[in-house]
Amino acid sequence: MHRTLRPFDLLEPDSVSEAVRLLGAHEGGAHVLAGGVDLIAKMRRWQLAPECLVSIRRIPGLDRLILNGAGELEIGPLVTLRELERSTLVREGWPVLYEAVHQIGSVQVKTMGTAVGNLCVATPASDVAVALYVLDARLTLTGPERERVLPIEEFFIPVATSVLGADEIVTGVTVPPLAAGTGAAFQKLAHTKACIAKVNVATLVSLEGGLCTKVRIALGAVGPTFIRARLAETALTGRAPSPELVAEAAEAATRESEPQSDLRATAGYRQRMVGVLVGRALAESVASARVGR
Amino acid sequence: MRKEPALFNINGRTYEVLVEANLTLLDLLRDRLGLTGTKQGCSASGNCGACTVLLDGRPTLSCLTLAWAARDAEILTIEGLATPEGLHPLQKAFLERGAVQCGFCTPGMILSAKALLDENPDPTEEEVRAGLAGNLCRCTGYVKIVEAVMAAAKTMRSGAGEPC
Repeated sequence: MHRTLRPFDLLEPDSVSEAVRLLGAHEGGAHVLAGGVDLIAKMRRWQLAPECLVSIRRIPGLDRLILNGAGELEIGPLVTLRELERSTLVREGWPVLYEAVHQIGSVQVKTMGTAVGNLCVATPASDVAVALYVLDARLTLTGPERERVLPIEEFFIPVATSVLGADEIVTGVTVPPLAAGTGAAFQKLAHTKACIAKVNVATLVSLEGGLCTKVRIALGAVGPTFIRARLAETALTGRAPSPELVAEAAEAATRESEPQSDLRATAGYRQRMVGVLVGRALAESVASARVGR
Repeated sequence: MRKEPALFNINGRTYEVLVEANLTLLDLLRDRLGLTGTKQGCSASGNCGACTVLLDGRPTLSCLTLAWAARDAEILTIEGLATPEGLHPLQKAFLERGAVQCGFCTPGMILSAKALLDENPDPTEEEVRAGLAGNLCRCTGYVKIVEAVMAAAKTMRSGAGEPC
């Protein structure tokens, strides 16, 4: 139902330090406004009625999408999904991230929505998050007193939330480069292309001398937050990937998922599809690792 | 709640409006300025694309945009697309190809198509479909819409019917 947004104060600080000070002063009554896709929709449904919005859109430098000195990708909190999708840097250096963003349907949502905002919503079905999981991305959280850098795995916590404090802003995401001989893949199952995932999966495999030296398997929408399928990773690590071994890892990942039934899919269906998608993603990762990427 | 005067550049014209923080761009356009070409479709949840306008050329859901945040942008709504010389090639193509049935999705559809063609003047059919993925149509089945966008792209590339 269409509703007027409940009244709020709109603050537009021009620095991160001022923004976090304002957030702290409102003691949880304030929300950060970046792209607004999720926030304004929730406010229109009266699911949220913050007393104050702190817009970070006027803060210079937050729209950076750059390669840093260590060859890592740095994504500022105002970088939109569309900018990620159109970036040659991302497409060539981190194709799995490109794939996760590219399959999101609505151009308008990608144009307005930011990658960091997508993470902050903390839905366990985020396509962007599963891709960043296998890439070992780190998030920088800035608060009034300190800045902390967390691996993405430590950012999300059950149920469907994150450790972001009420007076903190995610001021960047850093994504390490893929080592030589590494391949990664993204797989998603959804009702239509425009829909939220029933299951999404990302995998990454590094090969050295024909053996898997590093394996990452991340599962989305099948638990209270994202799941690293560590048993499945262990099944492959140190061994030469074969179709049988990939099937074994996919089966292990199935057991590691903890799905629930909801309007999008039943728990049983989700669990079986974890195996299918992990199998496909691993096969794709291994194939691209063999050609160098 | 405090209201503040703000200047909006809409379709090349400047409007001065007293706006409050909780006014959406959609409500500013429709309710304050009478620009009802921009539609509200899906109860403002960002699913249907009927409220699409262009902000500095970028397709944007006006239902999820605060009016205040749009005050520095060049806003284009469907009312601003035609010129005194005539309809935009996209509008002509939609009419000629029967890409309009009930018409409710048409303004958003045409503006998304304009953003696509401004960025990519020679899209494949697949690229047209991807460019319009954020706009739902419940009448046409999309075939005529895609045909119309492809036809308009061709017209625009040839320079004929180019708006002045």
